[in-house]
Amino acid sequence: MTNLRLLAGFAATVAVSLVGWSCETQRQALAPTIGGPRFHFLQFECSPVKMTGGGRIDYPPGTADKNDPATHIYETFGAHVMGSGVFDEESGHCPADKGSLEWVDHRPGMELNGHPLNLHSTSITFADIAVDAPHCVDGAVHWGGKLRVKNNGQEDLDFEVWDCDAGEPGVGQDGFAIRVTQDIDGIGHYEVTCDPPPAGPSPAEPTCTLTGGNRQFHPTH
Amino acid sequence: MKIDRIRWAIRFAGLVLPMTWSPGSLAAQGAAANAFGVAVRTATINQTTPAAVLPTDGTVGQNQASDVTVGTLVTAQDAFATATGAADGAQSDAVSSATLGTLSILSGLITADGVVAMASSTVDNSNAEGSSLANLVVNGTQVDDPAPNTRLDLPGVGYVVLNEQIPTSGGITVNMIHVVMQQPVIDLLGGVTGYQTTGEIIVGSASSSVN
Repeated sequence: MTNLRLLAGFAATVAVSLVGWSCETQRQALAPTIGGPRFHFLQFECSPVKMTGGGRIDYPPGTADKNDPATHIYETFGAHVMGSGVFDEESGHCPADKGSLEWVDHRPGMELNGHPLNLHSTSITFADIAVDAPHCVDGAVHWGGKLRVKNNGQEDLDFEVWDCDAGEPGVGQDGFAIRVTQDIDGIGHYEVTCDPPPAGPSPAEPTCTLTGGNRQFHPTH
Repeated sequence: MKIDRIRWAIRFAGLVLPMTWSPGSLAAQGAAANAFGVAVRTATINQTTPAAVLPTDGTVGQNQASDVTVGTLVTAQDAFATATGAADGAQSDAVSSATLGTLSILSGLITADGVVAMASSTVDNSNAEGSSLANLVVNGTQVDDPAPNTRLDLPGVGYVVLNEQIPTSGGITVNMIHVVMQQPVIDLLGGVTGYQTTGEIIVGSASSSVN
């Protein structure tokens, strides 16, 4: 019985230590993948992370006000990402465990092969928590991976998104932005990023304000 | 010996049970979301396309159709449906959207060239913000930015509800165009005693809930 008690005590100690270790934030000064000048999303850390939800952005200008629907100047998306928060020295990022992005740009000027530009992620490779975006009170994440352009089948384009949960409700507060690293055939350089407005509430730069939907940061563990 | 076993069991439970606790277990929350571009239900047709449902693992469900044709009842282009979210206690969320491009209902009785249905739910908050209709024309009349649950009669057909917003348990359903087809019920003397529903057409639907 004494042996059993000892074993149970030892197992409990190990289990508690493991849980504690796995939850410990691994702070790293990760370098952003694109240059500034910006005021947010410059400092990152590795922590367990999960961000879910979707929404609508009316870019340009990407403020909290919807554009006239008749202009068709808006984008809609669904996106989620999960990461365990372990720093990877080689990439300089926190690898993502899984995730997905579905993005549709409804602007007439962004039509490709007669249809709205439709981007679909094929892999999510990193998810870094931004620690310098105080407006994103619930959490901010810089994440990305590879995507496919559904309109023309172009594959393996790198992309990154900036993702901001600034509380509830998400509309008028949360933010989202995307940039595709390589040119999209038939469109060229593609990004939906916003400057902060001169006044009023705004999500962290370079995110654009949601005009619909919600981004939800999940503090895991 | 018996007491030892009981004491051991209590100690074991004391060690293991705290490890199973998570903030979410304080108030178990579920998240649900779904969306579709076009749904037609009549005596002979029962079709919904494209449709997306929030997967149980809390990822992203999505579907799309470049062209949607349901007999002579509906034609639509570039329909996308997306459902996202996660069940996670007080952080549970659900968001769904359906978008369509050019569309025609009942051979041009209703037309539009941009539909967005969007539903979003978190704990204690659900809304249809982000939903919109572009260049909507109903029976020859342009309708701009209809208020929630705007009902217009369609003579000889029934009626349409625009920007229909229906509260649900812990959430909301938004149907941007909901046509209800009706036939008059006629008595022996030829008088109309009422109307019976013969079918419905829904274009642009999004639902979300957190319970």
